[in-house]
Amino acid sequence: MNYFIKLGLVLLLITVIASGILAYVNGITADKIKANKVLAEQEARKKVLSAASRFEKHTKSLPAVKKEPNPLKNVEVTGDRQFVYYLGYDKDDQLAGYTFVASLYGYSSEVKTMVGVDLDMSISKIKVIEQAETPGLGANAATADFQNRFLGMDQEQLKVDKDGGAIKSLTGATITSRAVTNSIAEGMKNLKDAVNGEDK
Amino acid sequence: MNLWKEFTKGFIKENPVFIMALGLCPTLAVTSSVKNAIGMGLAATFVLTCSNMIISLIKNLIPDKIRIPCFIIVIASFVTIVDLVMNAYTPEIHKNLGLFIPLIVVNCIILGRAEAFASKNKLLPSLLDGLGMGLGFTLALVLIGSIREILGAGLWLGKEVMPDAYIENPMLVAILAPGAFIIMGLLMGLIKLVNKGK
Repeated sequence: MNYFIKLGLVLLLITVIASGILAYVNGITADKIKANKVLAEQEARKKVLSAASRFEKHTKSLPAVKKEPNPLKNVEVTGDRQFVYYLGYDKDDQLAGYTFVASLYGYSSEVKTMVGVDLDMSISKIKVIEQAETPGLGANAATADFQNRFLGMDQEQLKVDKDGGAIKSLTGATITSRAVTNSIAEGMKNLKDAVNGEDK
Repeated sequence: MNLWKEFTKGFIKENPVFIMALGLCPTLAVTSSVKNAIGMGLAATFVLTCSNMIISLIKNLIPDKIRIPCFIIVIASFVTIVDLVMNAYTPEIHKNLGLFIPLIVVNCIILGRAEAFASKNKLLPSLLDGLGMGLGFTLALVLIGSIREILGAGLWLGKEVMPDAYIENPMLVAILAPGAFIIMGLLMGLIKLVNKGK
């Protein structure tokens, strides 16, 4: 009996020491990790909307979507979603455009795209910031060649060519192309609603 | 001399990937580019060396019956430290390897060396064993990664090494999952053949 208590105590001791060390390391790195994330997003925003030098965060709650309650979890899912977008101002503090992050599940991962929008509601530039699609096929969505296909597009044109739109999809990666395109199209629609709503 | 042997045996004679066939899951997963291979190899080397040292230090305190859970805790702690530190100070590499770092915990090279070597040997040999095995693992990853990246994308470490016509239409299979199996299998066979000839 005593032997088993000793086993438990040794294990306890090791876990306590390990978690103490981990808590310490986490304490040092947590702020830095957070700052890196903010910085990376800031950089991405500047890349897609080069005219702007200062960004201002805005949110708009979207109309609640009635989702099917999850029968497994017995929890009512309410579609309380928020659309986050940034207003970009140039050096003279004039509104220069908008940016937002579009995200949709592609072939094997959530594809996130940073989108810069000019004042006339056409795309200034896009940049895929997060994806883990098939290397050599879907992952090509992160290449300049694909991202340039979106330059100057407006919301109506934002469909892949297979769906009758103006975006030429990647060879062998229609699903990824569609995820990028459709997520941007939805974001553009939300952005238009949000901006028009503000004018009123 | 003996210590030197502990260090170098991981490179070829007891190479963890090609000879002992350990740690194949991360090997297959990260070798799609040389950059990922180097990052994963070095991260695993760090964890392996540290966990080997700690385990060889505390081997007498750990009752035999619970040694495996103890090893896992030590290894998992080091992996988490690597994960946090890389995320904070080298976010670019972390972004590429993010998914694979937690997988180092279940990399059987590390548990394997803890069980087979560090729990039976003194500090210095354990350290050298970890370092050697880790570098051997890195070597294997870089070798497979080079072949896959050159064949599958026409690049090496992101630089173009094949003619433009090849890069436009490379042998895609090499960079996809089946390519990893095929190339690793061929390399293993080749090394067996060379070793037999000796």
